[in-house]
Amino acid sequence: MKMTPAMKKAQENMLPGVIIAEGFLGDENKSIKDMMVRDEGEMSKAGLDFDEVADRLLYFLEEGRKGLGEPVTIKDKWLIRVVDPRGKLPCPFEDGIFRKMTAEIELKSTGEKLLVTDLSIHLLKEHHFIEGIGSQFRLEPELVKRVLFS
Amino acid sequence: MNFLIAPIVVAVISGILAAAISIVDKIVNNYGEVNISINGGKKVLALNGGESLLSSLASQEIFIPSACGGRGSCGACKCQVTSDVGIHLPTEIPYLDKKEMAENIRLSCQVKVKADIDIMIPEDLFNVKKIKSKVLSIRDVTHDIKEVKFDLQGEEINFKAGRYVQLVVPPYNKIKGSTQRAYSMSSKPDDKGFVELLIRLVPGGIATTWAHTLLLVGMEVDLIGPFGDFERSETEATMVCVAGGSGMAPFKSILYDMFEKGEINREVWYFFGARTTKDVLYLEEMMELDSKWDKFHFIAALSEPEEESGWTGETGLITDVLDKYLKTKINKEKAREGYLCGSPGMIGACNNVLTANDITIDNIYYDNFA
Repeated sequence: MKMTPAMKKAQENMLPGVIIAEGFLGDENKSIKDMMVRDEGEMSKAGLDFDEVADRLLYFLEEGRKGLGEPVTIKDKWLIRVVDPRGKLPCPFEDGIFRKMTAEIELKSTGEKLLVTDLSIHLLKEHHFIEGIGSQFRLEPELVKRVLFS
Repeated sequence: MNFLIAPIVVAVISGILAAAISIVDKIVNNYGEVNISINGGKKVLALNGGESLLSSLASQEIFIPSACGGRGSCGACKCQVTSDVGIHLPTEIPYLDKKEMAENIRLSCQVKVKADIDIMIPEDLFNVKKIKSKVLSIRDVTHDIKEVKFDLQGEEINFKAGRYVQLVVPPYNKIKGSTQRAYSMSSKPDDKGFVELLIRLVPGGIATTWAHTLLLVGMEVDLIGPFGDFERSETEATMVCVAGGSGMAPFKSILYDMFEKGEINREVWYFFGARTTKDVLYLEEMMELDSKWDKFHFIAALSEPEEESGWTGETGLITDVLDKYLKTKINKEKAREGYLCGSPGMIGACNNVLTANDITIDNIYYDNFA
């Protein structure tokens, strides 16, 4: 599928060592356009809406921040720990700069966890990019559905 | 054979172009020998130009603190450039305030050394060195915090309690380049031949994942330091210290340093926040110090204590407990100073509580690289 120059630049920025050491593409060599088309299908199959997921993640991030670095239990169902290290990261699409905040969201009943950052929420909401398969920050639709909406 | 002509021609042209690019690159990017003049000529380094200021200085054993290893994502490697190196780059601007921009503070990882350059750095940085250490011991002090002791193998580190070092993490698995992360030293300054760090596992963290899964006793690891300006003041003011998790590190160093040097006439309140009993580290050690040192008060507060733990200490967020003690237990008539170690969010929240209780912002000290 054809990539715009902006997408080609974003793909370069997503390689390991450019913005973050491990990159955003996981184990994949596909074009990000192909990945995004595939993952839009995966999201739809899981019955998820990008904006709705982003809003839910932002809610957890804000609740987790109240723990000031320590984990916080939410509604006796989720355990959230937000780590807020120094520094900022630019979006690979070059449309914003984000804090390096990372949240680990655990569904207590199953122990399943999601890792999410300010930047990954932006990538999900604005670019429909959920990171490549094999990336530890990939928001795998089925996992997102189980952890956030069960 | 005609079918081979086109590929051969393309290959020859490509080869010529590649050689031309290589030659042009050597000419255009050959900046020759340049001088970096530090602090008005106190030190002058002669080196080949073309690299970033951060790596050029590091090649000459001058280490500017950096938490991201020069990727421009931490904003830590600031230094003042007093000669002309051009305008601030878009990659620098998000990390600088107006005052810093006016003073030509730059991110040293983003400034390329192409010609002679004059810079100003804190004199303390001349004391910073890279030390090849060996891991002496690794101990779990909670379920997600490891205490790691490094033997400096005959080298010594001279520092004031509260300072930090950069841990150099080698490439591993998918991480191709080496990475550096800052950790406060929990060891005492008198133990010059050793460094102790407290490393809490951060979800998705490059350095902490390595330290928790691949770091082994006996491995050689580079440490760079000491860095920072976090330290106790030389006043008699009551110290109000607040930390959580691995934020314990600088306070462990400071408190034992004070106790062993006989600085026990100073009132010290140490508030430590955690979620459950399994998240509290050095509880016995701190309680023992509390019992031996009349003016030291260790207050641990749990935000979600387990019912079965029998916890009888304070409960709630550490900021609420801090506020309660500032209002009811800590002498307001005496000068008080705040000391904080934690994330920017934790420091912001504690700053609000301290200032609301009449501790002025210039009497609050913190390290927020956590």
